[in-house]
Amino acid sequence: MKANVMLELILKDWRLQRRMIVLTIVAGTAALAMLLIGGQTPLVVGIVFYFVSMVFCACLLPMQNIVNERKKQTLSFVMSLPVSAARYGAAKLVSTVGMFLIPWLALLCAALYMILIRHSLPNGAIPAGLIIMNFPLIGFCLITGTALVAESEGWGTAAMAVVNSSYWLVWYLLVSHVPSLHETWSAPVAVWSPPVFKILGVEFAIIVLTLGVTLYLQSRKRDFI
Amino acid sequence: MTDCAIELNGVCKSYPFFDLHNIDLQLQPGTIMGLIGPNGAGKSTTIRILMGLVHQDSGEVNVLGHSMPKGQIDAKWDIGFASEDMRLYDSMTLGWHIHFMKSIYASWDDAYSQLLLKRFGLNAEQKVKGLSHGQRVKASLLLVFARRPKLLVLDEPTTGLDPVARHEILRELTAVMVEDGRSILFSSHNTQDVEQISDQITFIDRGRIIDSMDKEIYLDRWRRLRLEVPDGVALPTLPGVIGVQKAGRLAVAIANAFEPHLPNAYETSGARVRAVENMTLEEIFVANVEHSREEVKA
Repeated sequence: MKANVMLELILKDWRLQRRMIVLTIVAGTAALAMLLIGGQTPLVVGIVFYFVSMVFCACLLPMQNIVNERKKQTLSFVMSLPVSAARYGAAKLVSTVGMFLIPWLALLCAALYMILIRHSLPNGAIPAGLIIMNFPLIGFCLITGTALVAESEGWGTAAMAVVNSSYWLVWYLLVSHVPSLHETWSAPVAVWSPPVFKILGVEFAIIVLTLGVTLYLQSRKRDFI
Repeated sequence: MTDCAIELNGVCKSYPFFDLHNIDLQLQPGTIMGLIGPNGAGKSTTIRILMGLVHQDSGEVNVLGHSMPKGQIDAKWDIGFASEDMRLYDSMTLGWHIHFMKSIYASWDDAYSQLLLKRFGLNAEQKVKGLSHGQRVKASLLLVFARRPKLLVLDEPTTGLDPVARHEILRELTAVMVEDGRSILFSSHNTQDVEQISDQITFIDRGRIIDSMDKEIYLDRWRRLRLEVPDGVALPTLPGVIGVQKAGRLAVAIANAFEPHLPNAYETSGARVRAVENMTLEEIFVANVEHSREEVKA
């Protein structure tokens, strides 16, 4: 019986990158633990480090898992296996996104749990927090898509620069155009208003669209190495 | 379907600064073909096309009965491919790579891989980043050989190796051929390596196949004639002679279709034939490339 090469490629990526995933979870958890100290400064520092750990993983994972395969010339080795460019791209996308979702989901759950159990953190922050937590996920998808399609460190770095400098700008635009986000931030209960659902829907659509376009472009490549 | 291990018919590929022109190539099962060409001749592009990694603009490519690039997944189960620019994962051990290949190929031969580890002097526990260049090449070839593929496609595998490592790899390649029906396409710009192990030789230059035939026929057909040409004697243009270089009274004629009557023809014209020499594959290669370039210019 022939092996499932795509599955083997995904498992191979996991074995190669698992240290970074564990490191992200540890760093994010440590940042969240700072919130337990109480007070304004640990709160701000904890939230910033928590976000930084996610952004760090969103940047480093695509570069290590995708760009390095080409840069370090291990791509020839992988492409000597019974796999086409389209299937390689699909396996790479599944492994990279899957690996990122592990720390992202783990830290998202940890953050929500922290908000729910800590009285100093209002539950009204949950919708906005969810919207913000999607930023590194969207950024990660954009960097991953660019790295996979453009096959270049330069384009990957450019995508990282654009994405990382956009987080605060997008947040600023959202807060200034959707006042309810800011107004309900300190509410004792989470307020799931239509604008919140609309923003979450747009975020989800961007993720699906980015991954779909990446797969499509990858499947149309004629020269792979 | 075709009986050839590899068959390329009229394959063309255009890049902004390089074109592959109308490549026709056939590799019969059980033979070793040396694909020789200078740097930038199109060896790697040809190999990438037949591996399905680059799609041809036109022409047909069949490998082990599979049309490429469409059938590349099925074909690659039986192809062992290694190239000069191929690297393994630095942070992992050779043993990890062996385990990875075993998880994919049911044909993996454990006993043979252990034997190759010993023959190549490799340690499975060692990380790839600690290996020398020669050891890395050997490790890559071990991962290819132990799969027992029907077809081996090797793109300049001996480049940058010391003579001992080259000898070990060429010896192993010859040993691999003991198994019936296995075919090897071996690209190199090192004619010594190719001469040592190939049955068939194909010369490629500037994106064109300039010649392809049995190695023994090549060596038999090419000759160098050293001539002494007295003043007032004009050398005749003879069929089978592709070029004559003169320096004073001495001349060297290169024949690519040597016939025993050629020396007599020169003697009849008034020249003296001082020697008729066999040519090495490297000399044939250089003469062939120069002749082909002159023909293209003309």
